[in-house]
Amino acid sequence: MEFLASWPVGMVVIFALLLAGVPISFALAGVGVAGVAAIIGWSPALSLLGSTFFDNGRDYSLSVLPLFLLMGNFVVQSGIAQELYASAYAWLRHRKGGLATATVIACGAFSSVCGSSMATAATMTRIALPSMRKFGYPDQLSTAAIAAGGTLGILIPPSVILVFYGIMTQQDIGKLFLAGLIPGVLGVIGYAIAVRITVTWRGMDLPVEEKLPLMDRIRALKGTAGALLLFAFVMGGIYLGVFTPTESAGMGAGGALLLVLLSGRFSLRALGDVLYDTMKTTAMMFFILFGALTFTNYVNMSGMTADIQGFLASFGSTPTMTILIILGIYLLLGCVLESLSMIMLTVPVFYPIVAAQGFDLIWFGIFVVMVTEISYITPPVGMNAFVLRSVVPDVRLGTIFSGLAPFVVLDVVRVALLTIFPGIVLFLT
Amino acid sequence: QTQTTLTVANWLPPAHPLVSEVIVPMTEQITEATGGTVQTTILPAPLGPPAAHFDFAVNGVADITFGVQGYNPGRFTTTNLAELPFLSDSAEATSVAYWRVFEDQLIDAGEYDQVKVLGVFTHGPGEIFMKEADASSADVLKGAKLRVGGGIVHEVATTLGAVPVEGPSSKAYELLSQGVADGILFPYESVNFFKLIPQLDIGISVPGGLYNTSFYVVMNKAKWDSLSAEQQEQIDSVTGEALARMAGKMWDRADEKGVDAMDGQIAVSPATDTQLEAWTAALQPVIESKLGEMDEAGLDSAALYDAFKAEIATAEAELQ
Amino acid sequence: MQTPAAHRLSVPGITLRGVLSVLGGLFLLAMMALTVLDVLGRYLLNAPVAGAGELTEILLCATIFLGLCAVALRDEHVTVDLITDLLPDWVQPWRRVACGVFGSVILGLVTWRLAVYAGQIGSYGGQTSTLKLPIAPLGYFCALCTGVGAVLSTVVPVHRLIRYLKG
Ligand code: NA
Ligand code: NA
Repeated sequence: MEFLASWPVGMVVIFALLLAGVPISFALAGVGVAGVAAIIGWSPALSLLGSTFFDNGRDYSLSVLPLFLLMGNFVVQSGIAQELYASAYAWLRHRKGGLATATVIACGAFSSVCGSSMATAATMTRIALPSMRKFGYPDQLSTAAIAAGGTLGILIPPSVILVFYGIMTQQDIGKLFLAGLIPGVLGVIGYAIAVRITVTWRGMDLPVEEKLPLMDRIRALKGTAGALLLFAFVMGGIYLGVFTPTESAGMGAGGALLLVLLSGRFSLRALGDVLYDTMKTTAMMFFILFGALTFTNYVNMSGMTADIQGFLASFGSTPTMTILIILGIYLLLGCVLESLSMIMLTVPVFYPIVAAQGFDLIWFGIFVVMVTEISYITPPVGMNAFVLRSVVPDVRLGTIFSGLAPFVVLDVVRVALLTIFPGIVLFLT
Repeated sequence: QTQTTLTVANWLPPAHPLVSEVIVPMTEQITEATGGTVQTTILPAPLGPPAAHFDFAVNGVADITFGVQGYNPGRFTTTNLAELPFLSDSAEATSVAYWRVFEDQLIDAGEYDQVKVLGVFTHGPGEIFMKEADASSADVLKGAKLRVGGGIVHEVATTLGAVPVEGPSSKAYELLSQGVADGILFPYESVNFFKLIPQLDIGISVPGGLYNTSFYVVMNKAKWDSLSAEQQEQIDSVTGEALARMAGKMWDRADEKGVDAMDGQIAVSPATDTQLEAWTAALQPVIESKLGEMDEAGLDSAALYDAFKAEIATAEAELQ
Repeated sequence: MQTPAAHRLSVPGITLRGVLSVLGGLFLLAMMALTVLDVLGRYLLNAPVAGAGELTEILLCATIFLGLCAVALRDEHVTVDLITDLLPDWVQPWRRVACGVFGSVILGLVTWRLAVYAGQIGSYGGQTSTLKLPIAPLGYFCALCTGVGAVLSTVVPVHRLIRYLKG
């Protein structure tokens, strides 16, 4: 395995294994440990492997991951998503494309109590797609609105990806959460514009309903109470210092369980399913994390970071050029890689480089999450499109991806905006 | 002579004084003392959590590692001695004395048999810092929520009637700024380094400090054995007591910087006689139990405690 | 969605799922309850739960490694299926077996190293800082779970392959 001592070889091997369908966690761990062994020998490499899996599994700050997942699963159970959707619809039903806009807004609202994009997309597909179909919305628009809206799950706090980023770069997770708020709201606005553009440009003839009287609309807001309460409880608790961001996950899960109990949908069987599911997802994500950390050790020892820094310095790359190059790499990788593995592979390499160029690492965290959002909805590997497809197998992937084009464009515009005006991200932190 | 390169694992930001003013100069001195036959590289990113670093040296994952013994609870009992309250206001004196007692006696306890020890040393004295509070009240700590790490600080806080709020030091800002904790037991340096000054109003300095934190710098044994006797001697000449002194001086400087930074923002006053009397009496059982643990591990704690205090007095006298 | 016949669990599989479900569920609920009690205790009683942080760490670690068995039980590890989906259907069960064997090798290594590391921690009496709970048993538990995961990683896809070949 001596050849792995050179990192470009390691990169080729890891991509080959990933594309061959080897589970991401095993591919990363395997290449990582063999690569480290090529550099420092098998005996220390193997003891590092044991330490990486055991010590990082006992990291207190990582306990937010299962607890936020648990919170999201309880929220799905509680029926909050239907209520959010109904409220948004009451306000928008008289507008052309109103259902799609309501979907985007409900996705954003749901993201504030769910930390995962795929969970947001899966939940909203079950709720929003049937009604958009009933009103004759073309699948191209409705699936795109859900897939794009779902990506907000990792930007609007809480966010599983921001937790991982915070761990890998030793940044404050509470600050990262606050930084995600405004870009998240901008995301909702951007997607609403994308809906508008789609409807106008494609000349869609969509039905509109009669405008509801103001009082009825206000009454409809009642449906947002559950989500609003939970979000206010979690973010307010953090902001007012009642509990720490780390503790907010456990408190949020407790709050969400309370909502399930109040909603009258509680059953022991459902509780069992939620817990089993949460445990499984936790293990999947942590084993990818362990694999990635093993691989990171290989990157660390192989001198890759220094080589790339030297390469950028060799043609006098300015910070702006560096960030553009990184954006380009992310857009390319985002097409072909699963999103979590993309972050795990790239963040350890990029963050020392951008930090050295003077970028704020909280800002870069939001940047990374936004390019990851794009990766969820670009072909050929767009996880949110796949999620939709698995829930409604009768939709063609091509239909979903073609509908997503304007949303991707608006996403790129948003990334550009936040790169030119980083203050929008850092304002709240 | 053959050229050797030692990898040094680092889990702190490169600008941290323990890295920039102790570890980096130490590596330079090693290269210089060995006439360039031993080179070093410091790894750009951490290999794992801080607690894993002692075993990284044991297992040869890196050649030289540093860390805090207290991150591995249950592993080191000899450390108890260096972490006791009321030792000295000078990290340099404590560190030099600690190294001398370590080299002379503590090392025989066998806790470091799997590595070559380049140095042990301590931080400056841990003091009391709080948000709005009456610094002179005898009950200032009663019921106060104090952020503490593990080990002796936890016991000190509990014994003095405080409610311990646990969390790593990197979370101290979060805990204080959000009002989860009312105060903290920390050296001046750390209050400054973790940017806690705006969060705190008063400080109470306790002569000799309420606790100390013990650090180690160790090297992989096989790597050490692979060096020539001459190289080993050259490295020994710039580590050991010299390293302990350099580290102690650095912590003292950092504490001074911390005190300066607090000027006008945190009112630091010495503990009153009433407070001191109460706290000394209250902490006596903690000291006894820590020494008792050493006895259980087969050490003569009473003799060690006396020898350590005598060495501190000597080292303090040398500083004059 | 209907589970394909080849993917249904066998009787031992169902038993294992039940055990994992109960244990893992308890771990997760305990983790949640610890945070809630710790925060409530801090404000209402001025008495946080002693060692809540380290108990959470232990539960987290136990949940992760127990969860590995649950993931392996249905061969649900995350993969990149960009190219593999283009391969003909008959290749898939064979490809899964190959990936499973690769996974078993990696998990086997991890099992071994976790056991060695646990032994190392046990040898110096490593414990948690406040409650003084020994850490080595947790390490052995993780090694055991990973070992089960390593076996399942090959057995499950082979089991599916056999069912596939039988039609
Ligand atoms: Na979210
Ligand atoms: Na993509």
